[in-house]
Amino acid sequence: MGIRATAVACLALVTMGCASAERTPVTSTAERFLSAAGEGRGGQACLLLAPEAARSLDDCEKQIVSVGLRAGAVRGVDVWGDEARVRVDGDTLFLHRFPDGWRVRAAGCEPRAEQPYECEVKT
Amino acid sequence: MKRLVRDNALALCFLLLFLASLAGQSVAGAAAFNKEQVTDGGSPVTWAEYVTSSSFAVDVAENWQSEYLQFFLYILITVWLIQRGSPESKDRHEEGLESDAEQKVGPHAVPGSPAWAVAGGWRRTVFSHSLGIAMGLLFLLSWLAQSVAGLAAYNTEQLAQLEDPVGWGGYVTSPDFWNRTLQNWQSEFLAVASMVLLAIFLRERGSPQSKKVGDPHSETASSG
Repeated sequence: MGIRATAVACLALVTMGCASAERTPVTSTAERFLSAAGEGRGGQACLLLAPEAARSLDDCEKQIVSVGLRAGAVRGVDVWGDEARVRVDGDTLFLHRFPDGWRVRAAGCEPRAEQPYECEVKT
Repeated sequence: MKRLVRDNALALCFLLLFLASLAGQSVAGAAAFNKEQVTDGGSPVTWAEYVTSSSFAVDVAENWQSEYLQFFLYILITVWLIQRGSPESKDRHEEGLESDAEQKVGPHAVPGSPAWAVAGGWRRTVFSHSLGIAMGLLFLLSWLAQSVAGLAAYNTEQLAQLEDPVGWGGYVTSPDFWNRTLQNWQSEFLAVASMVLLAIFLRERGSPQSKKVGDPHSETASSG
Protein backbone atom coordinates (compact mmCIF):
# COMPACT_ATOMS: atom_id res chain seq x y z
CA MET A 1 0.00 0.00 0.00
CA GLY A 2 2.90 2.32 0.83
CA ILE A 3 4.26 1.72 -2.65
CA ARG A 4 0.93 2.77 -4.17
CA ALA A 5 0.78 5.99 -2.19
CA THR A 6 4.37 6.78 -3.11
CA ALA A 7 3.59 5.97 -6.73
CA VAL A 8 0.89 8.65 -6.80
CA ALA A 9 3.33 11.22 -5.46
CA CYS A 10 5.92 10.16 -8.05
CA LEU A 11 3.28 10.28 -10.77
CA ALA A 12 2.45 13.84 -9.85
CA LEU A 13 6.12 14.79 -9.78
CA VAL A 14 6.65 13.12 -13.17
CA THR A 15 3.65 15.04 -14.50
CA MET A 16 5.20 18.28 -13.28
CA GLY A 17 8.53 17.20 -14.74
CA CYS A 18 6.86 16.66 -18.10
CA ALA A 19 5.33 20.11 -17.69
CA SER A 20 8.76 21.71 -17.29
CA ALA A 21 9.95 19.92 -20.47
CA GLU A 22 7.13 21.71 -22.30
CA ARG A 23 8.48 25.19 -21.47
CA THR A 24 10.52 25.40 -24.69
CA PRO A 25 7.70 24.62 -27.15
CA VAL A 26 5.33 26.86 -25.15
CA THR A 27 7.79 29.78 -25.26
CA SER A 28 8.49 29.18 -28.94
CA THR A 29 4.78 29.25 -29.86
CA ALA A 30 4.19 32.41 -27.83
CA GLU A 31 7.18 34.21 -29.39
CA ARG A 32 6.27 33.19 -32.95
CA PHE A 33 2.66 34.26 -32.37
CA LEU A 34 3.61 37.69 -30.99
CA SER A 35 6.20 38.27 -33.74
CA ALA A 36 3.69 37.39 -36.47
CA ALA A 37 0.93 39.55 -34.97
CA GLY A 38 3.31 42.45 -34.29
CA GLU A 39 4.85 42.37 -37.78
CA GLY A 40 1.53 42.25 -39.64
CA ARG A 41 1.64 38.57 -40.62
CA GLY A 42 -1.97 37.91 -39.62
CA GLY A 43 -2.25 34.59 -41.44
CA GLN A 44 0.67 33.11 -39.53
CA ALA A 45 -0.58 34.49 -36.22
CA CYS A 46 -4.05 33.01 -36.76
CA LEU A 47 -2.54 29.57 -37.44
CA LEU A 48 -1.02 29.71 -33.95
CA LEU A 49 -4.33 30.63 -32.31
CA ALA A 50 -6.59 27.97 -30.75
CA PRO A 51 -9.49 27.28 -33.18
CA GLU A 52 -12.07 28.74 -30.75
CA ALA A 53 -10.01 31.91 -30.31
CA ALA A 54 -9.58 32.33 -34.06
CA ARG A 55 -13.33 31.86 -34.60
CA SER A 56 -14.05 34.54 -31.99
CA LEU A 57 -12.64 37.14 -34.42
CA ASP A 58 -14.81 38.11 -37.43
CA ASP A 59 -11.79 38.38 -39.74
CA CYS A 60 -8.90 36.80 -37.86
CA GLU A 61 -6.08 37.80 -40.23
CA LYS A 62 -7.03 41.48 -40.16
CA GLN A 63 -8.18 41.79 -36.57
CA ILE A 64 -5.25 39.97 -34.96
CA VAL A 65 -2.77 42.55 -36.31
CA SER A 66 -4.89 45.49 -35.19
CA VAL A 67 -5.05 44.46 -31.52
CA GLY A 68 -1.63 45.99 -30.84
CA LEU A 69 0.24 42.81 -29.82
CA ARG A 70 4.03 43.16 -29.75
CA ALA A 71 6.92 40.75 -29.19
CA GLY A 72 8.80 41.33 -25.92
CA ALA A 73 11.26 39.74 -23.55
CA VAL A 74 9.84 36.64 -21.88
CA ARG A 75 9.52 37.25 -18.13
CA GLY A 76 7.99 33.96 -16.99
CA VAL A 77 6.56 30.65 -18.21
CA ASP A 78 4.20 28.43 -16.18
CA VAL A 79 3.10 25.07 -17.54
CA TRP A 80 0.54 22.90 -15.71
CA GLY A 81 -0.92 19.91 -17.54
CA ASP A 82 -2.21 21.00 -20.92
CA GLU A 83 -2.36 24.68 -19.94
CA ALA A 84 0.33 27.36 -19.91
CA ARG A 85 0.82 31.05 -19.15
CA VAL A 86 3.58 33.15 -20.72
CA ARG A 87 4.38 36.59 -19.37
CA VAL A 88 6.25 38.94 -21.72
CA ASP A 89 6.98 42.65 -21.42
CA GLY A 90 3.59 44.35 -21.63
CA ASP A 91 1.50 41.24 -22.28
CA THR A 92 0.38 37.89 -20.89
CA LEU A 93 -0.67 34.94 -23.05
CA PHE A 94 -2.48 31.70 -22.17
CA LEU A 95 -1.88 28.59 -24.25
CA HIS A 96 -3.45 25.13 -24.51
CA ARG A 97 -1.81 21.96 -25.78
CA PHE A 98 -3.68 20.39 -28.70
CA PRO A 99 -2.77 17.03 -30.31
CA ASP A 100 -0.70 18.91 -32.92
CA GLY A 101 1.02 21.25 -30.48
CA TRP A 102 0.59 24.36 -28.34
CA ARG A 103 -1.81 27.09 -29.48
CA VAL A 104 -2.62 30.52 -28.04
CA ARG A 105 -6.07 30.56 -26.44
CA ALA A 106 -5.86 34.10 -24.99
CA ALA A 107 -3.63 37.08 -25.75
CA GLY A 108 -3.38 40.74 -24.84
CA CYS A 109 -4.28 39.85 -21.26
CA GLU A 110 -4.22 42.21 -18.27
CA PRO A 111 -4.47 40.94 -14.67
CA ARG A 112 -7.48 42.00 -12.57
CA ALA A 113 -7.72 41.74 -8.81
CA GLU A 114 -9.58 38.59 -7.67
CA GLN A 115 -10.86 37.99 -11.22
CA PRO A 116 -9.69 36.22 -14.39
CA TYR A 117 -7.39 38.18 -16.73
CA GLU A 118 -9.06 40.62 -19.12
CA CYS A 119 -7.98 39.58 -22.63
CA GLU A 120 -8.20 41.26 -26.06
CA VAL A 121 -8.43 37.86 -27.75
CA LYS A 122 -9.72 34.70 -26.07
CA THR A 123 -11.66 31.49 -26.68
CA MET B 1 -3.49 -23.20 -5.00
CA LYS B 2 -7.18 -23.71 -4.18
CA ARG B 3 -6.36 -23.68 -0.47
CA LEU B 4 -4.18 -20.58 -0.84
CA VAL B 5 -7.08 -18.73 -2.46
CA ARG B 6 -9.55 -19.91 0.19
CA ASP B 7 -7.20 -18.98 3.05
CA ASN B 8 -6.78 -15.47 1.62
CA ALA B 9 -10.24 -15.04 0.14
CA LEU B 10 -11.10 -11.92 2.17
CA ALA B 11 -8.00 -9.97 1.12
CA LEU B 12 -8.22 -11.20 -2.49
CA CYS B 13 -11.90 -10.27 -2.71
CA PHE B 14 -11.26 -6.69 -1.62
CA LEU B 15 -8.15 -6.35 -3.80
CA LEU B 16 -10.22 -7.42 -6.84
CA LEU B 17 -13.02 -5.03 -5.87
CA PHE B 18 -10.38 -2.28 -5.52
CA LEU B 19 -8.92 -2.94 -8.99
CA ALA B 20 -12.35 -3.17 -10.63
CA SER B 21 -13.48 0.07 -8.99
CA LEU B 22 -10.25 1.87 -9.92
CA ALA B 23 -10.63 0.71 -13.53
CA GLY B 24 -14.25 1.88 -13.56
CA GLN B 25 -13.26 5.23 -12.02
CA SER B 26 -10.60 5.72 -14.71
CA VAL B 27 -13.09 5.14 -17.54
CA ALA B 28 -15.88 7.28 -16.05
CA GLY B 29 -13.35 9.94 -14.98
CA ALA B 30 -11.83 10.16 -18.47
CA ALA B 31 -15.30 10.62 -19.99
CA ALA B 32 -16.19 13.40 -17.52
CA PHE B 33 -12.78 15.07 -17.97
CA ASN B 34 -13.08 15.07 -21.77
CA LYS B 35 -16.58 16.52 -21.66
CA GLU B 36 -15.22 19.44 -19.65
CA GLN B 37 -12.19 19.79 -21.94
CA VAL B 38 -14.34 20.12 -25.05
CA THR B 39 -16.73 22.55 -23.33
CA ASP B 40 -13.75 24.78 -22.41
CA GLY B 41 -12.54 24.83 -26.04
CA GLY B 42 -9.76 22.30 -25.41
CA SER B 43 -9.09 18.90 -26.93
CA PRO B 44 -10.04 15.46 -25.52
CA VAL B 45 -7.29 13.25 -24.07
CA THR B 46 -6.73 9.50 -24.37
CA TRP B 47 -7.43 7.09 -21.49
CA ALA B 48 -3.65 6.63 -20.99
CA GLU B 49 -3.15 10.40 -20.80
CA TYR B 50 -5.99 10.73 -18.30
CA VAL B 51 -4.77 8.01 -15.90
CA THR B 52 -1.34 9.68 -15.80
CA SER B 53 -2.84 13.13 -15.25
CA SER B 54 -2.91 15.10 -12.02
CA SER B 55 -6.71 15.21 -12.25
CA PHE B 56 -6.97 11.40 -11.90
CA ALA B 57 -4.19 11.26 -9.28
CA VAL B 58 -5.85 13.79 -6.97
CA ASP B 59 -9.23 12.06 -7.22
CA VAL B 60 -7.61 8.76 -6.21
CA ALA B 61 -5.33 10.15 -3.49
CA GLU B 62 -8.00 12.21 -1.72
CA ASN B 63 -10.04 9.04 -1.15
CA TRP B 64 -7.04 6.97 -0.08
CA GLN B 65 -5.92 9.45 2.56
CA SER B 66 -9.34 9.59 4.19
CA GLU B 67 -9.62 5.79 4.32
CA TYR B 68 -6.21 5.42 5.93
CA LEU B 69 -7.00 8.24 8.36
CA GLN B 70 -10.23 6.47 9.30
CA PHE B 71 -8.42 3.21 10.13
CA PHE B 72 -5.53 5.04 11.82
CA LEU B 73 -7.88 6.92 14.17
CA TYR B 74 -10.12 3.91 14.74
CA ILE B 75 -7.16 1.73 15.72
CA LEU B 76 -5.79 4.38 18.09
CA ILE B 77 -8.98 5.75 19.62
CA THR B 78 -10.42 2.32 20.41
CA VAL B 79 -7.38 1.73 22.65
CA TRP B 80 -8.65 4.43 25.01
CA LEU B 81 -12.38 4.94 24.38
CA ILE B 82 -15.16 2.35 24.68
CA GLN B 83 -18.76 2.12 23.47
CA ARG B 84 -21.00 0.04 25.72
CA GLY B 85 -22.84 -2.64 23.77
CA SER B 86 -20.69 -2.36 20.64
CA PRO B 87 -18.77 -5.36 19.29
CA GLU B 88 -16.30 -2.78 17.90
CA SER B 89 -15.31 -1.78 21.44
CA LYS B 90 -13.39 -3.27 24.33
CA ASP B 91 -15.24 -3.88 27.60
CA ARG B 92 -15.34 -1.45 30.51
CA HIS B 93 -12.13 -1.26 32.57
CA GLU B 94 -10.09 -2.53 29.61
CA GLU B 95 -9.24 0.97 28.34
CA GLY B 96 -5.57 1.66 27.72
CA LEU B 97 -2.53 -0.29 26.57
CA GLU B 98 -3.24 -3.31 28.84
CA SER B 99 -0.66 -5.37 30.75
CA ASP B 100 2.26 -7.28 29.22
CA ALA B 101 0.55 -10.53 30.26
CA GLU B 102 -2.65 -9.60 28.44
CA GLN B 103 -0.63 -8.56 25.40
CA LYS B 104 1.60 -11.68 25.51
CA VAL B 105 4.87 -9.75 25.22
CA GLY B 106 8.35 -10.29 26.72
CA PRO B 107 8.31 -13.09 29.33
CA HIS B 108 4.58 -13.59 28.70
CA ALA B 109 5.12 -14.44 25.02
CA VAL B 110 3.68 -17.72 23.79
CA PRO B 111 5.08 -20.22 21.27
CA GLY B 112 4.70 -18.59 17.85
CA SER B 113 4.74 -15.01 19.18
CA PRO B 114 6.51 -12.68 16.72
CA ALA B 115 10.23 -12.19 17.50
CA TRP B 116 9.82 -8.45 18.16
CA ALA B 117 7.03 -9.19 20.68
CA VAL B 118 9.42 -11.44 22.59
CA ALA B 119 12.28 -8.92 22.34
CA GLY B 120 12.51 -5.90 24.64
CA GLY B 121 13.44 -2.25 24.07
CA TRP B 122 12.66 -0.26 20.95
CA ARG B 123 11.79 -3.32 18.88
CA ARG B 124 8.91 -4.28 21.17
CA THR B 125 7.77 -0.65 21.34
CA VAL B 126 7.79 -0.28 17.55
CA PHE B 127 6.08 -3.64 16.97
CA SER B 128 3.48 -2.84 19.66
CA HIS B 129 2.39 0.16 17.57
CA SER B 130 3.31 -1.06 14.08
CA LEU B 131 -0.28 -1.21 12.80
CA GLY B 132 -1.01 2.36 13.87
CA ILE B 133 2.35 3.57 12.56
CA ALA B 134 1.75 1.90 9.17
CA MET B 135 -1.75 3.35 8.83
CA GLY B 136 -0.53 6.77 9.97
CA LEU B 137 2.31 6.78 7.45
CA LEU B 138 0.02 5.62 4.65
CA PHE B 139 -2.37 8.43 5.56
CA LEU B 140 0.40 11.05 5.51
CA LEU B 141 1.83 9.77 2.21
CA SER B 142 -1.62 9.72 0.58
CA TRP B 143 -2.39 13.20 1.90
CA LEU B 144 0.94 14.49 0.59
CA ALA B 145 0.21 12.86 -2.77
CA GLN B 146 -3.22 14.54 -2.75
CA SER B 147 -1.60 17.93 -2.11
CA VAL B 148 0.97 17.52 -4.92
CA ALA B 149 -1.46 16.11 -7.48
CA GLY B 150 -4.14 18.55 -6.32
CA LEU B 151 -1.78 21.48 -6.85
CA ALA B 152 -1.15 20.39 -10.44
CA ALA B 153 -4.86 19.82 -11.14
CA TYR B 154 -5.83 23.12 -9.47
CA ASN B 155 -3.23 25.14 -11.40
CA THR B 156 -4.25 23.50 -14.68
CA GLU B 157 -7.81 24.65 -14.00
CA GLN B 158 -6.65 28.11 -12.91
CA LEU B 159 -4.79 28.61 -16.19
CA ALA B 160 -7.74 27.24 -18.20
CA GLN B 161 -9.88 29.93 -16.53
CA LEU B 162 -7.30 32.64 -17.28
CA GLU B 163 -6.24 32.95 -13.64
CA ASP B 164 -2.83 32.90 -11.93
CA PRO B 165 -1.38 29.57 -10.70
CA VAL B 166 -0.48 29.22 -6.98
CA GLY B 167 2.43 27.61 -5.08
CA TRP B 168 2.22 24.49 -2.84
CA GLY B 169 1.84 26.62 0.29
CA GLY B 170 -0.95 28.59 -1.30
CA TYR B 171 -2.70 25.42 -2.40
CA VAL B 172 -2.65 23.57 0.95
CA THR B 173 -4.27 26.62 2.57
CA SER B 174 -6.81 27.01 -0.25
CA PRO B 175 -10.54 26.19 -0.04
CA ASP B 176 -10.09 23.64 -2.86
CA PHE B 177 -7.62 21.53 -0.83
CA TRP B 178 -9.69 21.62 2.36
CA ASN B 179 -12.97 21.06 0.54
CA ARG B 180 -11.54 17.90 -1.06
CA THR B 181 -10.05 16.81 2.28
CA LEU B 182 -12.96 17.48 4.62
CA GLN B 183 -15.68 16.15 2.33
CA ASN B 184 -13.91 12.79 2.53
CA TRP B 185 -13.22 12.96 6.26
CA GLN B 186 -16.82 13.72 7.22
CA SER B 187 -18.12 10.67 5.37
CA GLU B 188 -15.54 8.37 6.98
CA PHE B 189 -16.32 9.60 10.49
CA LEU B 190 -20.07 9.26 9.90
CA ALA B 191 -19.59 5.68 8.66
CA VAL B 192 -17.52 4.73 11.73
CA ALA B 193 -19.99 6.31 14.16
CA SER B 194 -22.85 4.51 12.37
CA MET B 195 -21.07 1.16 12.58
CA VAL B 196 -20.22 1.60 16.27
CA LEU B 197 -23.80 2.53 17.19
CA LEU B 198 -25.84 0.32 14.83
CA ALA B 199 -23.84 -2.77 15.83
CA ILE B 200 -25.18 -2.35 19.38
CA PHE B 201 -28.77 -3.05 18.31
CA LEU B 202 -28.54 -4.78 14.90
CA ARG B 203 -26.99 -8.12 13.90
CA GLU B 204 -25.51 -9.82 10.84
CA ARG B 205 -25.54 -13.54 11.48
CA GLY B 206 -22.10 -15.10 11.00
CA SER B 207 -20.17 -11.85 10.67
CA PRO B 208 -17.26 -11.24 13.04
CA GLN B 209 -18.13 -7.54 12.77
CA SER B 210 -21.46 -8.26 14.50
CA LYS B 211 -22.50 -9.66 17.84
CA LYS B 212 -24.16 -13.07 17.82
CA VAL B 213 -27.84 -12.78 16.93
CA GLY B 214 -28.92 -13.76 20.43
CA ASP B 215 -26.41 -11.61 22.30
CA PRO B 216 -28.00 -8.98 24.59
CA HIS B 217 -27.82 -5.36 23.34
CA SER B 218 -25.85 -4.51 26.47
CA GLU B 219 -23.07 -6.99 25.71
CA THR B 220 -19.83 -5.33 24.66
CA ALA B 221 -16.77 -6.71 22.81
CA SER B 222 -18.25 -9.86 21.38
CA SER B 223 -18.46 -11.10 17.82
CA GLY B 224 -20.43 -13.75 16.01
